Amino acid sequence: MAPLQVFYRLFLRPLRRNLLRTTLTLLSVSLGVAVILAIELAGDAAAGSFQASVETLAGKADFEVTSITGVPAEALGRLATLPYDLNLQARLEGTALVEPSLRAVPLVGVDMVAGALQRSGQQLKPGADGAWIGIDLARDLHLNAGGRLGIVVNDRRAEYPIQGVLGEGSADAVVMDLGPMSRLLDRADRLDRILVGVPNNQPQRDWERTLRAALPPGVTVAPAGARTGENRKMLGAFRWNLRVLSYIALVVGAFLIYNSISVSVVRRRTEIGVLRALGATRGGVLLAFLGESVCLGLAGSLGGVLLGRLLAAGAVGMVASTVNSLYVSSRPGAIALTPLTTLFALALGVGVSILSSLAPAWEASRVAPVEAMARGRVEHQARLHTRRHLCFAVLLGAAAYWAALQDPVAGKPLFGYLAAVLTLGASALAIPALVAGLAALSGLYLEHLLGVEALLASRSLAGSLRRTSVLTGALSTAVAMMVAVAIMVGSFRQTVVVWMEDRLQADVYVRSAGGSGGDRFPALSADTPERLARLPEAAAVDAYRAYAIHYHGLPATLGANDVRLSARYMRRPYLGGENPAEVAHELRSGESVIVSEPFANKHHTRKGDWLQLTLGEHQPRFRVAAIYADYSSERGSIGMDRATLLRYLPDPAPTSAAVYLKPGVTPEQGKRAVEQALAGRMIRVFTNGALRVEAIKIFDRTFAITYALEAVAVFVAVLGVAGALIALVIDRRREFGLLRFLGASTGQVRRLILFEAGLLGLLGNAAGFALGYVLSLLLIFVINRQSFGWTIQFHWPVGVLMGALTAIYAATLLASIQPARIATGLNPIEVVHED
Amino acid sequence: MRTSARLAASVVCRLALVCGVAGAAGPAQYELARPGYRYQFPRDHFNHPAFQTEWWYYTGNLTAPDGRRFGYELTFFRQAIQRGGKPEGWEVPDVYLAHFTVSDLNAGRFHQAERLNRPGPGLAGADLKQARVWNGNWQAQWQFDPSTPGGFRAQALQAIAEKFSIRLSLTSDKPPVVHGTNGVSQKADGAGHASHYVSLTRLKTSGSIEIEGRRFDVAGLTWMDHEFFTNQLAADQAGWDWFSLQLDDGSELMLYRLRQKDGNAGRWSHGSFVDAHGTVRALDATEFQLTPGATWASQRTGAHYPVAWRIAVPGLGLNLSLLTRLEAQEVTGGGDISPSYWEGAVEVTGTRGGKPSAGRGYLEMTGYAKPLQLGGGAAVQRGAGAPANAGK
Repeated sequence: MAPLQVFYRLFLRPLRRNLLRTTLTLLSVSLGVAVILAIELAGDAAAGSFQASVETLAGKADFEVTSITGVPAEALGRLATLPYDLNLQARLEGTALVEPSLRAVPLVGVDMVAGALQRSGQQLKPGADGAWIGIDLARDLHLNAGGRLGIVVNDRRAEYPIQGVLGEGSADAVVMDLGPMSRLLDRADRLDRILVGVPNNQPQRDWERTLRAALPPGVTVAPAGARTGENRKMLGAFRWNLRVLSYIALVVGAFLIYNSISVSVVRRRTEIGVLRALGATRGGVLLAFLGESVCLGLAGSLGGVLLGRLLAAGAVGMVASTVNSLYVSSRPGAIALTPLTTLFALALGVGVSILSSLAPAWEASRVAPVEAMARGRVEHQARLHTRRHLCFAVLLGAAAYWAALQDPVAGKPLFGYLAAVLTLGASALAIPALVAGLAALSGLYLEHLLGVEALLASRSLAGSLRRTSVLTGALSTAVAMMVAVAIMVGSFRQTVVVWMEDRLQADVYVRSAGGSGGDRFPALSADTPERLARLPEAAAVDAYRAYAIHYHGLPATLGANDVRLSARYMRRPYLGGENPAEVAHELRSGESVIVSEPFANKHHTRKGDWLQLTLGEHQPRFRVAAIYADYSSERGSIGMDRATLLRYLPDPAPTSAAVYLKPGVTPEQGKRAVEQALAGRMIRVFTNGALRVEAIKIFDRTFAITYALEAVAVFVAVLGVAGALIALVIDRRREFGLLRFLGASTGQVRRLILFEAGLLGLLGNAAGFALGYVLSLLLIFVINRQSFGWTIQFHWPVGVLMGALTAIYAATLLASIQPARIATGLNPIEVVHED
Repeated sequence: MRTSARLAASVVCRLALVCGVAGAAGPAQYELARPGYRYQFPRDHFNHPAFQTEWWYYTGNLTAPDGRRFGYELTFFRQAIQRGGKPEGWEVPDVYLAHFTVSDLNAGRFHQAERLNRPGPGLAGADLKQARVWNGNWQAQWQFDPSTPGGFRAQALQAIAEKFSIRLSLTSDKPPVVHGTNGVSQKADGAGHASHYVSLTRLKTSGSIEIEGRRFDVAGLTWMDHEFFTNQLAADQAGWDWFSLQLDDGSELMLYRLRQKDGNAGRWSHGSFVDAHGTVRALDATEFQLTPGATWASQRTGAHYPVAWRIAVPGLGLNLSLLTRLEAQEVTGGGDISPSYWEGAVEVTGTRGGKPSAGRGYLEMTGYAKPLQLGGGAAVQRGAGAPANAGK
């Protein structure tokens, strides 16, 4: 018989006949592929956009000149008069919140006078003291040239006539001339960046040297785009983990493909036997089954690509919000589905399908023509191997334990992931034993407790051990991932809550309304601390100033406040348990700094090490006095005393201010007093409690994408349960028919199926919960520590777990409704007479 | 006289917008060029912020050792945008426009570049203390020389564009020439329709020109004009033709013809003759005739420029015919801001007092280009028909 014919008879026809099951399997592949693709695309879009807004306005730029506090403006004059044909573009940069939605967009000041000649016919044309806006901004907020643009920048509000809308594909930004922009930012003598284009008549390295020689000390010359590279590097671990998380859905999908193909092998043993008897070769049967999985994989992946593109649109916002609050300002760029990514997704889907169908397909090819009638042999095999599988499980578990103790590889917790995979493998191998044990156990008691239907259900599950195990494996994997991530995030959240309690001791906090983020520190007016200190309600005022800096090629934050106040008010500030007063004393000397835990991990910094920082025109060295916990940013921070910072960078404007109130003043009274003292400024004032609520809100937003991924994995698993139950029912039509024939009521049959689903759900949940606990330990103490370096205290998020497990259990039960309907709809006489 | 108010008007209109002071830059804030101005050098070689418009023009004819001929123009314009306020940081009290051209006469190629800057942190300016007039890395650096009256005799010129550059040193053998009478060069009826106009008419020049990576050592003569004023032209003036000629006998001739909208030469056309010893003779409109000849049509602007002229100064016995080796020497502003005009190296031959006479020089013609349609639908009249008042 021709292979194609085998293929058609054996597969396409059944696929068409079992449309529902086929659809569910396809859907699980689709979802798996879609989630991976969506996360990949969304990650690209979110990460690819740091440079976009600023750089799309620039022409060719080879280098960028920057400095912590801004490049002295004279540097531009010096570069401009160098005897080389340099293309210079001066930039002032900030963030504007655009009214009325207060959308945060980059605010870019460019030299429109210098650009006026070049830009003829291009987007920017010289115009009055006004602003140009990106086309998306104009569309979304219904702004037009000639209208007014209200923006909040730092703690000020300003209004400008809209001179024009930048063309299609333009940056999502507000663009102004340096003149009005410097007035708005109150920064006449500093630039944020000078982009330099050089002629290509000598190597870039020589140009870098030439430029550096012309610039004052403390100013950095870096190849343009290097910052983007650094940001990407910083985001590396985050994207890596997100990516790994996204593969969970596909792993679950793989279980389901395995199950689906296994089911079809089992169901078609007779047909296979007949085919073999008619002359089909083993290879032909193997190929045919693999062909089925390729078809499933391809169709599923195609759907997955389309779905993934759709999901990416939703995911990109979530990913970007995480990136913004933890790392670096970015506005999601366009989602680009390239042929390569598409091909990758298809290959992934098909590859996983083939892999997960290898075992059942091989098994099918072993079916001997005479064996075809011998039902039950396979299940018998599975039972026989239970013990051996259990031994393997123990071995894998031991290997997982070993892997968990290994160091990271190139900053990535590769062994951590290996440990997780080994744990999953161990649990998959242990599940048949678990099912068999549980079935044996339940057989003893279920009948008394729940009646004969329960007994039948448990026996039936134990009877089709292999399939039950696979289903339990799929469900428990999804549940385990959910449990693990829930425990990890819950522990993290709790850790942050405790940390905030220790750290946030002031009663009222003030920051500017201008959008802040991981690397954006909009300043308050310089007189803010003084004004607050004059309030009769205030016992003390702390001014905090932060700068986005680079340390050894990685972005970091440099912050300073009055360390005497932190010593007086903060609890447990340092990881090493150092005495706050002593650390404060050391910091007051001006020769020490403290560094955050992520910083210490990234740069392998220990207490007592020395750091050299470029501050203004100086390059002082500081001793690390202590390491402090910091969960507010993953960038890594260096902290020093405000006096030390001002000595090098004498800009008194703070990023935020904290007010400690006198005894007897309520936070609300304090807040009102602060608001009155700073009336007319665009600021946000938080009481201690409100700030914590806000912080937790940000935290939850950050992890929204994680929850979403989990939900998809669980959804895929529940789909799988539904599909498998349907297969089970169709498989056992004769059995149900016989039961009905023997007098079982439809209610009893329905209950039987309900009990099977319930048992499956219970098994899946129990195994998943145990597995999840182990995985959460890996996540918190191995993977998190190695890739992010945060210390997280273990914490059971009881509420979340209870809710989720109950929901999953309920979903499993709900998934049995359709199979039960099918089973009760069978005509017993017809079914029994089928053969 | 030079590219003058037309350019100034155009620049100021567009740039006042940039700087958000549209309408605030009326001439009333500025001083007018009035008779009796007392020149003081070197002070008067540099910035006059009290006047609205100011420029420094360098034009020259240079020759490489192998005989290859070049012309060049390097011009620094200053146009006041606003006065008052703090002239610091990124504010824009003035804008500086600069034009740079090199005419590769033997190769028949004309290279041009332009740039615009605010003073900013040393981006552009004209400063006595630094003895420098500059716009980015295009600059005229004066060199102090205590033995010269006024302290300056030599200048170093440098201009670097993407594909061509010059590095020249200039030395003047003659003292500055103040054009017109009583310190003003009158351009139209009425007080203030005038400029303060001073020239260095014979600057010995040597240095190098680089074009697309190829370097030529050159030597020759440069003419430098420096003019500052507020609102010098009247409304009925359409453009002008301006001549600076350096004759082989050591004398120089400057002539300009103001064309009125009715096509006639205005009566305020004027000239100066500088003899080999540096003695200046002012020429009024009745003392010379300028007769345009063959024209060259610009493909880019559609303007028809007369590129051949007959020049007669009967009082000096001068009869010259003017030709150019390269007709395509039109400066076309790349942006919406700067106007188009013809400014090129020329040669004259003829007689002076019956004896053969020859020389080289520069010719500038403005107001020929058609009105140009600009971005945003605004038509800015260039040349005929446009009122020439700056700042409107």
